[in-house]
Amino acid sequence: MGYQPADIAFALIGHQDCWKKITGFVDFFSKSPQGLSAEKVAQVYSFIPPRVLFDVVVQSVIGQRVKGCYIETFISPDELAPRHWKKNIEKVKAAAACARKLGAGVASLGGFTSIVLEGRNDALNDGAFTKFTTGNSLTAAFIVKALEKACIKFDRQLADLQLLVIGATGDIGSACVEYFAGKVKNLLLCARQNATLQQHVLALQKKGLQAEASTDLATLLPQADLIIAIASSGIPNFNPLLCRKDVIICDAGYPRNLVLEFGNDFKDRLFYGGMGVIKGGYTFSPAVHHNLYKFPINNVAHGCMLEGIVLALEKLYTPFSAGRGNITPDKIEQIYLMAQKHGITEAPFFNGLNAWQPPRL
Amino acid sequence: MQTMTAAQPAICTHEFRSICADVLSQAINGEIVGMSNFAKLTGTVDDVHERMECIEHANCERNHAAAFIAVAKKNNLPVLITSDGTYWTRVRETFGKWADKNDFIACIIMQEVILECFAVSMYNDVGKALASTAIGQLFLAISKEEEEHIEHSIEILQAELEKDHEGFINKVEKVHYDCMTILAEWSMLRPCEDHCLVCAGQCMKDNLPSIGLNIQVLRGNAMNLYMKTLDRIGIPGIKTLEWVTNLPI
Repeated sequence: MGYQPADIAFALIGHQDCWKKITGFVDFFSKSPQGLSAEKVAQVYSFIPPRVLFDVVVQSVIGQRVKGCYIETFISPDELAPRHWKKNIEKVKAAAACARKLGAGVASLGGFTSIVLEGRNDALNDGAFTKFTTGNSLTAAFIVKALEKACIKFDRQLADLQLLVIGATGDIGSACVEYFAGKVKNLLLCARQNATLQQHVLALQKKGLQAEASTDLATLLPQADLIIAIASSGIPNFNPLLCRKDVIICDAGYPRNLVLEFGNDFKDRLFYGGMGVIKGGYTFSPAVHHNLYKFPINNVAHGCMLEGIVLALEKLYTPFSAGRGNITPDKIEQIYLMAQKHGITEAPFFNGLNAWQPPRL
Repeated sequence: MQTMTAAQPAICTHEFRSICADVLSQAINGEIVGMSNFAKLTGTVDDVHERMECIEHANCERNHAAAFIAVAKKNNLPVLITSDGTYWTRVRETFGKWADKNDFIACIIMQEVILECFAVSMYNDVGKALASTAIGQLFLAISKEEEEHIEHSIEILQAELEKDHEGFINKVEKVHYDCMTILAEWSMLRPCEDHCLVCAGQCMKDNLPSIGLNIQVLRGNAMNLYMKTLDRIGIPGIKTLEWVTNLPI
């Protein structure tokens, strides 16, 4: 962790979701003239200790600039299953130590790395200067605001629609459920743990809300007008043939939950959720941007990462999102307003193919 | 650090005895090279206390070699001790090149960072795999002792970095490619292209799984410790990333 950029307000801790990106950035840093094969990279990748890869400078629309850095954990995309968690958690803790050593005021934990803060014991926010946040509140905010926007684009009324949340018992999934409770006609909850799922449904029903739950996705898919996919891993049993023709899908997983053929009807109905756009722009130094963080739209970033940036812009060095099930609709509005103040808002609709081209109304 | 599940087969099987003998041969030859490297290091320093420390470290490596020889003898394992080992000869000669230039810092980088990181990590992995045997316990104990050599170097090298940031990083890079390339070739994932002349029969790498080890994890853990050590010294993380990804695999 020798790299010591000055004046670090925030740190972004993350991991890559595919080997293509990894090969791209390892090639960039290795400066190998012939490039490294994916096979070669895969042999060494998960043994590399966490380290700072680049500085990030973000420009707010109200004139502020903050500097931070990105710390890669080198967690292998092939090792996200529970049997690798112990090793991965050690990597996240080592990355957190990097953030502390740099004196970052706040650090966001992206993707899988947020697991360290979602447990019962917060092992990171132990009184040291650097505060750690999962970034889940802003991710949830971008998911729900984008979905509301999508409904407006397609001239659909939330109150008439049934919303399916896949991964409904997770931190972001349950926040989305709570946000849309009372706003949609029916909540359909899907998750792997049946007992937890039933508790959630019972709690909603006690509030007089209409909700049903199942661990079997196939029973819920045909009813859904809106889908938020936010499971911690891919959803191989997602059968697009069971979906309604006019369904709107928000895939907010990291790695992405759904593998769908974009030649089908979904190309203008599925968007990648939880993403934000920085209107003032951002820069990476060294400029590894095109090898690592490429989207069909400029200045896009993940909501979880942007939460750390927003907190740094606000000089609000606090573990804004920590624990599990603590994200309330009020918290979603609070972080969303803070982000908007700096020109950071939900990203325009895009998916793995390109930016959305919604039909003319 | 990644862990491996030890197979712990009975010590009397031929396969087990063969792999133990090869692992011990590699360790003994490595310790002897370490011993002669530290002895050579005395010629590169003026300070008498530093010289005495070099001799102390050389003696420490000698004791490690002697302990490995003794445990091999006790278990009746035929070890091969040679000054002609393909990779260990290259390591010794490379160290000699830096010692001949009286470059104390380069020698410290090579011996106390690069070679000791490999020793500490690989001894630890072997020790855990053979933990139920006296051989395994010896590897674990020596791994702990070798850690002290790494610790010894870190403060010295941090001070060097402080004095001349760019010059020091350039030196580490040169020593890295000089020495780590040899270790990377020795620990390549496929059997060695040139026989190492230390393994008794064919390359031991193929047989490592029989004691619950594999070369990818052994090598990966060693690289991990090496990179962490360079991080602690203060080398920029993206530099070591560049250096390590350019090594032969």
